[in-house]
Amino acid sequence: MDNNGQAAGSGPPPKPWERAGSSSGPAPFRPPSAGNTSEVVEASGTAQPGEVVSTTNTNVNRNIVNSVGRPVPARPWEQQQTYGGTYGGYGTGVNSGYGGGMYGSSYGGLGGGVGIGGGMYGNSMYRGGYSGLYGGSSMYGGGMYGGGMYGGGLGGGLGGPMGGYGMGMGGPYGEQDPNNPYGQPSQPPGFWISLMRVMQGVVNFFGRVAILIDQNTQAFHMFMSALLQLFDRSGMLYGELARFVLRILGVRTKPKRVHPPGGEGLPGPHSMPGNQNYIEGPKAAPNGGWDSVWG
Amino acid sequence: MPVFKTPFNGYSVKFSPFYENQVAVATAQNFGILGNGRVHVLQLGPTVTERAAFDTADGVYDVCWSESHDSLIVAAVADGSLKIYDLSLPAAANPIRSLHEHARECHGVDFNTVRKDSFLSASWDDTVKLWTVDRPASVRTFKEHAYCVYAAAWNPRHADVFASASGDCTARIWDVREPGSTMILPAHEFEILACDWNKYDDCIIATASVDKSIKVWDVRNYRVPLAVLNGHGYAVRKVKFSPHRGSMIASCSYDMSVCLWDYMVEDALIGRYDHHTEFAVGVDMSVLVEGLLASTGWDELVYVWQHGTDPRAP
Repeated sequence: MDNNGQAAGSGPPPKPWERAGSSSGPAPFRPPSAGNTSEVVEASGTAQPGEVVSTTNTNVNRNIVNSVGRPVPARPWEQQQTYGGTYGGYGTGVNSGYGGGMYGSSYGGLGGGVGIGGGMYGNSMYRGGYSGLYGGSSMYGGGMYGGGMYGGGLGGGLGGPMGGYGMGMGGPYGEQDPNNPYGQPSQPPGFWISLMRVMQGVVNFFGRVAILIDQNTQAFHMFMSALLQLFDRSGMLYGELARFVLRILGVRTKPKRVHPPGGEGLPGPHSMPGNQNYIEGPKAAPNGGWDSVWG
Repeated sequence: MPVFKTPFNGYSVKFSPFYENQVAVATAQNFGILGNGRVHVLQLGPTVTERAAFDTADGVYDVCWSESHDSLIVAAVADGSLKIYDLSLPAAANPIRSLHEHARECHGVDFNTVRKDSFLSASWDDTVKLWTVDRPASVRTFKEHAYCVYAAAWNPRHADVFASASGDCTARIWDVREPGSTMILPAHEFEILACDWNKYDDCIIATASVDKSIKVWDVRNYRVPLAVLNGHGYAVRKVKFSPHRGSMIASCSYDMSVCLWDYMVEDALIGRYDHHTEFAVGVDMSVLVEGLLASTGWDELVYVWQHGTDPRAP
């Protein structure tokens, strides 16, 4: 099959439901507003407090909004694993060449910037006026940390694209000016930082397992009941085996006698004379049941 | 229809709204618990070929196509970021944007089909965020749910209204112009994993839950469900209204099956497909070809088939 759909930028074909009639009755929604989403939200006064994000006319924006005459866009490459929530001006940073906001703010957080550095240098960010000056700076790529997954080899997914850049020991770090390509590479993260990153990975791991168990409550419940039943049964089997072995060895164990309710003392509430009413208890088989199998 | 084997476990599959022979697939390594992810764009034909693939450093839980541009896809990544990929650019130039605001895993993403300039992301940090393609930061954050939000879905007939499904056992209806949610549906006794709107009636919504049921609701009167669809053996993971028939619903579940329902008739279950051998976690119905279904699951397989045929048939 060929791609005989629509030309780029002209919008998808009309949806089947758009050709159909309207809904079954008056909807409980306010009528839709005219304009694009940003304008509508801003006009409603419900936009993010304190957030004034201009629709900056960057390469990326031009590429997304317009579909023709596409230059190669700047690449906001993989800022992974910044769980600290200290992302600050990430968005604007991407579009401003140096990504100042990103470097400036994301280092404070726990484990922030695990993957930072990869690709930011010697990459398309500096395409254009900067490319000559920073051409050699790709050694700061920090590919060692680029994988973003904590446990060693799991970071392999990014290996391809990161490999070309990553020779340094992690991204710029600490007090050092991260944008200075001529400085020394920073020190590797300290013991506690590494430990915290590992701990965060562990917490993350168990979080995902917990969500998965949440989503399978019933299945998990059945699994656990089956497991418990198995343990229960295997315990009984073990007991019987032990008695058998002891019997072989000549040790005679006293078989447990089950006293039928009502047989002595007070009769059970539902006991009828001559009619033993066992609900859960073992049935007294005519020959004594299984209690005397091994003697 | 042939089958495509992905290297990682499938998580979501979506048909392109532009081309009937393209699907995007979100996958994650090690069942999405630990490891990398990959977004595949597949070209359907006599054989399924891979048109593009993009690697991520964490699992990809969901993917959606842009409604305004035929080559843009948005991926919801488990590290909390949303990544926008442009198929017309080489893999090395992608993603063209990485939006990282969610504090936890991003589990669902949905593109506005009416206004076509914005999309929603649902995250385990209990929030839904609204993004527009021309901004590098979110436009709004909707924070009301008390537990993970698993899915968000735009109303297909109203540009400002959407629904969200959460682990706090509620589904909520939102209007982007309102500060808070406009309706709260205490729809199930257990977590709600997915929701979708009827494409032919903008007041009808379906919710899928851990309690193994799908419920269909009329938002004008949400005290009792219009229909309760029982038939799945375990939690229902995704639910999707047909783009072609108003009362038809597709669902997939942790019982490894994909089911088709007609909630208007008494015997609502009209089709059941047991082709997956692990959890079926992604299902979609083509908007361009009536009856064309796609599904993916943890068996690392993507199936595309016509309703009524065997997905495994060569």
